[in-house]
Amino acid sequence: MPRPEPKTITFTIDGREVQAPENTILVDAAKLGDVEIPVFCYEPKLGAPVGACRMCLVEIEGIPKLQTGCSTPVKDGMVVHTQTDRVREAQAAVVEFLLINHPLDCPVCDKGGECPLQDISFGWGGGRSRFIEPKRHFQKPLELSPLIAIDRERCILCYRCVRFSQEVSEDYQLILHERGAQTFVGTFDGHPYVAPFSGNIIELCPVGALTSRPYRFRARPWDIEGSGSVCGLCPSQCNVTFTVRDDRVLRVLARQNDGVDDGWLCDRGRFAYQAIHVDERITEPLLRDGGTLRPVSWERALDEAASLLKKAGSRVGALAGGGTTNEEGFLLQRLVREVAGSEHLDAAGIDPVDAWTLLDPALQASMQDVEYAHTVLVVGTEPVDDMPILDLRIRKGVRRNRVKLAVATPRPSSLDANAALSLRYAPGGEGAFVAALTAAVYGGDIEAPAAAADASVDEIRALAELLRTGGDGAPGDVVIVWGTSMLAADGGAVAPALLKLASGLNLSGREGGGLLAVPAAANERGLLEAGFAPGMAPGFGETDGEGEAHAVAGIAAALRAGDLTALYLLHDDPLVTRADTHGWDHALEKTTAVIAHSQFLTAGLLEHANVVFPAESYAEKEGTITHPDGRVQRLRPAIGRQGSVRAEWWVLTELAKRLGTDFGVLTGAMASQQLFAAVPFYNGLTLDTIGGKGVRWPADAALAAAYPAAPEARRDAVYAEAAEPNGALRLGTFRSIWVGADVEASPALKFLAPRQMVEMAPSDAQRLGVRHGEKVLVGGDGASVEAIVALRDAALPGSVFLQTGITTNAANVLDGPLVEIRKA
Amino acid sequence: MSWTPGDDAIHVVRPPAPGAAGGTYRVFAETLRGLKTTFARVAEGVHTIQYPEQKVPVYPRFRGRHRLHKFEDTGLEKCVGCSLCAAACPADCIRVVAAENTPEHRVSAGERYAAVYEINLSRCIFCGYCEVACPFDAITMGNDYEMSDYQRSDLIFTKEMLLAEPVERTPLRAEGE
Ligand code: SF4
Ligand code: SF4
Ligand code: SF4
Ligand code: FES
Repeated sequence: MPRPEPKTITFTIDGREVQAPENTILVDAAKLGDVEIPVFCYEPKLGAPVGACRMCLVEIEGIPKLQTGCSTPVKDGMVVHTQTDRVREAQAAVVEFLLINHPLDCPVCDKGGECPLQDISFGWGGGRSRFIEPKRHFQKPLELSPLIAIDRERCILCYRCVRFSQEVSEDYQLILHERGAQTFVGTFDGHPYVAPFSGNIIELCPVGALTSRPYRFRARPWDIEGSGSVCGLCPSQCNVTFTVRDDRVLRVLARQNDGVDDGWLCDRGRFAYQAIHVDERITEPLLRDGGTLRPVSWERALDEAASLLKKAGSRVGALAGGGTTNEEGFLLQRLVREVAGSEHLDAAGIDPVDAWTLLDPALQASMQDVEYAHTVLVVGTEPVDDMPILDLRIRKGVRRNRVKLAVATPRPSSLDANAALSLRYAPGGEGAFVAALTAAVYGGDIEAPAAAADASVDEIRALAELLRTGGDGAPGDVVIVWGTSMLAADGGAVAPALLKLASGLNLSGREGGGLLAVPAAANERGLLEAGFAPGMAPGFGETDGEGEAHAVAGIAAALRAGDLTALYLLHDDPLVTRADTHGWDHALEKTTAVIAHSQFLTAGLLEHANVVFPAESYAEKEGTITHPDGRVQRLRPAIGRQGSVRAEWWVLTELAKRLGTDFGVLTGAMASQQLFAAVPFYNGLTLDTIGGKGVRWPADAALAAAYPAAPEARRDAVYAEAAEPNGALRLGTFRSIWVGADVEASPALKFLAPRQMVEMAPSDAQRLGVRHGEKVLVGGDGASVEAIVALRDAALPGSVFLQTGITTNAANVLDGPLVEIRKA
Repeated sequence: MSWTPGDDAIHVVRPPAPGAAGGTYRVFAETLRGLKTTFARVAEGVHTIQYPEQKVPVYPRFRGRHRLHKFEDTGLEKCVGCSLCAAACPADCIRVVAAENTPEHRVSAGERYAAVYEINLSRCIFCGYCEVACPFDAITMGNDYEMSDYQRSDLIFTKEMLLAEPVERTPLRAEGE
């Protein structure tokens, strides 16, 4: 749907003439005239108002009864009064009514001090209650989930939490039980409310009925400071406010940025801050000494790392993980390229030329485009796992703006229920599927690629029709949300086909439509743009290096072959994050020097690292990261570095100095300056202009013009065929939102740590004689993992799905493409 | 430039000289009048209070160092760790870190209790706002004023110190005294 273009009207409130966009809700419009109307249930983020609490009553001339300001849109010439006796009396009466059953146990209530009910009772209440009868009682406090405590006595039945669950996150778990004065909030089946976005209801609840268990009784508003930054745990890069007390992060709150997160957070972003303050965290430099890692001084660790790098000469490879900032990536690529003279560095594991063509600003869709497009196609990604906040944005578009959603994924998607059309293709058939879809849009042979992707030709035709015509003959803006993991799976074919599809749909240079990549790691886009990619200098420029630049798999092979002897790991551990665990294990075994920056001693580091530098957490970092839609955002330190942790830019600069090169970086901001100068389309950015909300460079004409023209797409690309099961099963993998060292280390989130499940179609299960919940062994030749069978109705027969990245039984050890299932 | 007093020179007006009788009166009688007070006090005896052996009794509402209280019957702490005293304190010298009561470990009557309760008495201005802010009468201003110490850090009073009876009671002034 096109974005609404409001016209400005004038209305009068409390004798003041105020200009506001037409149809703004009165409560919001009043703010433009500096008038505050108290509200409880009204929350624009939740969609249409419900008018449940009656706190917002106002008098409107010409309407005999008082009206709810939260559900009345302003009209031209409206005359509103909020200060008349009638309104005051009504407000005092509503407060008195809401407090009838309210315990007012503010001293022990976690909301105390930041409680709208306190504020409104104080500001608009009568100050006296006539109610002397006993109040209603509930058992309290209770766990609504391991993360959320519920105190039903305090609930004022505003519906906010229920609306969130029903209409925003659409997990449909929370409902109001009973009627009238007996009403209470709970899950429909009495089970704990466990959902990826459950924590948002804590922030939504206007009273202390829903409170955070990890934050329970930790601090009062006057004990704490808020520190704005950006969550660095996944590609959504939601804007957050850290609550800091005594130099510890105690809570994470959403910081609304409509261009990024729409004011929501996922539970990982909200609770995984706990990993910052756990004992497992590495807070001193470690050096391998006689087989074990021992704490040493910074001087010693730096000297040792420098001499290892010197010995390796140009035979160094480097990998960076998702939490790496643009500056850190930029400095490490300087260290590897300029100082060591090696070209072998990679983060994303995708061909940077593909990324270069697909990240073109003319093709770029923004987060808000997803909400206002006519049609959204989600292909090759599961937003709730890969970029959770995008899931809410897509749901919002479908629910409120009637966006037509199409989902095309190998694995059944949680968005299927909202989709106008959803279809499956075989894992491994990414390139073939996109080729088939392109053919359906453009004309060409559909049958062969559709067969190679094991997808239905009719469904692909229907999808092409939907994309081309918007379903109702009114072609409009199309946003294609695609997972960059498709490039890793079948890069050669996916990128040219996607480009062709985009041009077939006229997405180039189009306002409101385009491509939106969902990366596999938090700052994948930023690292590509900062030049942390094989053979690609900052800003997709030429590198001086000669010969082949190895990507992830190439680095592993070169390490195994002894062509590379040292490996630099910036926030990465290939045994955990990369495919082919065995190959990497072997490679690390052969590597003479492994130098790592990490917050935790993960499997690979514990076994193989020679030097481990303690890494900053995202709450300690300064620098920038780049959102998948091109928004450069700024991380600001909320707390001091814990223990003797030091900044990564400092460590990299010190190492370069010891190897004879001075980077000229004395502060974090100087690293940012160097980065902005080196990347043509970041030229002119400063930390100040980026500020709290970030800058979308593709939306800035001058910066977008500086984007180097990408090479012509390859025309000779041949898609790979998805493997023919022939009795076995195709292996597909996915990464759950709950995978990561931060989740594992956070006490509050431990209960969510995923177990390995093998998702399969019921027909396959029947054929193999396994039941839902049964323990099986999934394996190819050599390796196998233990998993629990989970039947998924919408799964494509012939394919199974396993998780990667989990601590035990991760699918990283299997190489596919086919696996067998045996009973355990 | 030299200064010429001119017309605005200050003219000093002196009182008339007292004369013989007046002078004599001033020398002897006024002095004796003053000495009367002196001798009267001498007759009264010694008035020095031998602090610290002796102490001045204080008024019951004298604001000395704080006390935290327990319920007499249950022995539970009255403080629930709500931090309102910390919010009220103009000197910002109270630190409260709350925690949750469990059935096995019940410290206060409510859901929460103060796991840490500290007052930095070297900063406190004894205004008594904390006492006014407390919704449970858990903190009151006591009468003890002897708080000097050798280390600043010893002036941070912990919950245990504030809950304990003072070693020596400060004498209170009786009614009407
Ligand atoms: S919800 Fe607000 S008003 Fe109610 S007890 Fe808690 S702090 Fe007090
Ligand atoms: S629990 Fe909170 S958000 Fe939910 S209905 Fe009650 S007061 Fe509203
Ligand atoms: S008496 Fe005043 S200054 Fe001292 S702790 Fe209480 S509120 Fe703070
Ligand atoms: S805010 Fe208007 S009825 Fe609740």
